[in-house]
Amino acid sequence: MIGISPVSVSHYLVVGAVLFVVGAICMATKRNALGVLMGVELVLNGANLNFIAFGSKYLRAESLGLDGQLIALFVIVLAAAEAAVALAIALNFYNNHATIDVDQASELKG
Amino acid sequence: MNLHELVSELIIDTKGSVSGGLFSLPTADSSIGVFTPELCLCATIVLLLFIRLFNGGRKVDLFWVMLIGTGVALVASSPWKFLGSHPPLGGLDAVSRMEIFTGMLVYDPFTVYMRSVLIGFAFLFAIFTKLSGIPDKEDGADIYTLVLGSTLGMCLMASANHLLMVFMAVEMASVPSYALAGMLKGRRTASEAALKYSVYGAGAAGVMLYGISLVAGLMNTAHLPTMAVQLAERLPEMPGPEVMVLALGGMMIMVGLAFKLSAVPFHFWAPDVFEGACAEVNAFLSIASKAAALALLVRVAIGFGAIPPTGIEPGSRSVAQHHAATTETASLNNHAGGMFALADEAHAPTPAAHEGGAHDEAAHGDEDHAAATAIDGLAASRTFMAKLIAFLAVLTCTFGNLAAYGQTNIKRLLAYSTIAHAGYMMMSVAAFLVMAGDAPLQAQNAIAALAIYIATYVFMNLGAFAIIAFLRNAMHSEEIADYAGLLRRCPITVICFSLILFSLVGLPPLAGFIGKFAIFAALVDGYQVSVSAGHPAAFLIVLLVVGGMNTAISLFYYLRVVKVMTMEEEPADRPPFVYSEVSLQGAFVWLVTAPTVLLIINWNVLSEWAHAATLYLLAAA
Repeated sequence: MIGISPVSVSHYLVVGAVLFVVGAICMATKRNALGVLMGVELVLNGANLNFIAFGSKYLRAESLGLDGQLIALFVIVLAAAEAAVALAIALNFYNNHATIDVDQASELKG
Repeated sequence: MNLHELVSELIIDTKGSVSGGLFSLPTADSSIGVFTPELCLCATIVLLLFIRLFNGGRKVDLFWVMLIGTGVALVASSPWKFLGSHPPLGGLDAVSRMEIFTGMLVYDPFTVYMRSVLIGFAFLFAIFTKLSGIPDKEDGADIYTLVLGSTLGMCLMASANHLLMVFMAVEMASVPSYALAGMLKGRRTASEAALKYSVYGAGAAGVMLYGISLVAGLMNTAHLPTMAVQLAERLPEMPGPEVMVLALGGMMIMVGLAFKLSAVPFHFWAPDVFEGACAEVNAFLSIASKAAALALLVRVAIGFGAIPPTGIEPGSRSVAQHHAATTETASLNNHAGGMFALADEAHAPTPAAHEGGAHDEAAHGDEDHAAATAIDGLAASRTFMAKLIAFLAVLTCTFGNLAAYGQTNIKRLLAYSTIAHAGYMMMSVAAFLVMAGDAPLQAQNAIAALAIYIATYVFMNLGAFAIIAFLRNAMHSEEIADYAGLLRRCPITVICFSLILFSLVGLPPLAGFIGKFAIFAALVDGYQVSVSAGHPAAFLIVLLVVGGMNTAISLFYYLRVVKVMTMEEEPADRPPFVYSEVSLQGAFVWLVTAPTVLLIINWNVLSEWAHAATLYLLAAA
């Protein structure tokens, strides 16, 4: 059977890496602050997928164990907290500048 | 191991004894016992939130809550007791290396030192903000809560021992800082600063987490000391692709750390945030945040490049003591006819745990020896880290000083100065990594140099930003040009500011010189150790030369501010202002300037504390 192999850690890692790269590109190219924050969420979830895969005892004999799952849980909570603060800051920026285009945030430079 | 044993081990780890009831106080050597300062901060945060909830901010001045909260936390962390000339030895509360909360955090003298610096800074910061009047009745609770929350995160950064805690602590310190940067409502620049800070910060944290996932997955552990042992075993014959992934993960973690350190090339946020946010927040970001980031850099560097001593288990001392006491009473009871079977029962669960503890103490020497041999396996990762940090330090230092040259806004100038100082401080970590394998004692001295630098830096930058904030309150300007001729208006403040600026350059009689000299001496030490070990680390000499040249460059832009204040004529178009030097504000400026001037007279205490702080960082060879 060519081309069919059981699901292994590397499959998860590839998906995680794709999420990370897409998130990083999103962070770098989006001009809308909300788009940048979405990119951050993608990066965090890419890392989370890695943690889950590394922590699973069904994929590898030696694994990160429960630490992996627990880190993923903590990261989900932290991502929510960070998103809440970042959205509040974006709203504050909108109140002052009537836009959330990050390229308009250019009064401070030098 | 059954559930009962698991739970009783957890109880011993958390509060030190199984015999007491549910509400018995934790012992001094348990996880909660040594975590008291952080718990004081937590209690103050909860109290502030409750006061906020019931709108008490209008009735009580929350400054006192903040001051008492941080004061109690400072007393609880008591560096004078644990790091002084006669630290308690052998007692329940003697400080050695102890991994608390099942290995999540580490409690050692370095933790004590760093959290004392951080909490002590929070204490001074409370007084500073009260005097500059930023936390008003409306916002006081919010600002103090954010500052305390961030300080708590920084204390965790200084004691992180697990990659999860590394990430959590960085986020805990950063997220309140984003909100603090945008504290001034309705200011266009403040909201822009907060947006930039939060976007860059979130991005850096994401990259750091991905790096952590790679490293943890490759090493099958996220516990830093275990990781170091694993790395030492596997690194010599690790296949190439795995080494690549490891290096990639390590560099991604460095991205997150470099962001917190505002090291080039991840420094973009610093000048913008410093210009947009108010001077009070700048003081917080440039001192507390930087000190915590350096402590975390040391922790992570040890996790990748050296093996810490084994240390003791939380609660093992009190269990041993309890065991000794119960055996005594039991034998007494047996002597008296064995009337109290209860005593036997109470002592029943302890032997296993006690044997574990005794075994640890006995095996300590052997394991240290094993650690000394294992540390050789880490030579490759240590050299890699040392070169990476040295490279970043050179870039950071040079760029910070060159960019500061053309600044017209004093806060922006100090932002670049902060970046440059981060570069100097990172140099000591590079020297530490070079020496960690061959001369652990001298390597620890390099970190002691860093600790001295951080302590002097607290007073220098706090003084500078305090003067900027008080002058802003008086003349509503932060432009260097508007400081012209201030010498005639407020001579004492100008003299204090000049002394602080000279101290930031590192000129001899002032405190900045002591820190800088200690770090440059560590670099020379590092080179000598590496030469005598047979692998000369020439990049340390490069660091030394770059550091010296940068000190010369920095002289120009600091002196320019002094020149504007003293030599130039007062601008005719400057609106009139009143600035009284004989006031509480003036007294605060003198208070924070005094250490920078007087430290040279007797810096033995600081040096003693700094050296005591680094005692248990590395296993003795």
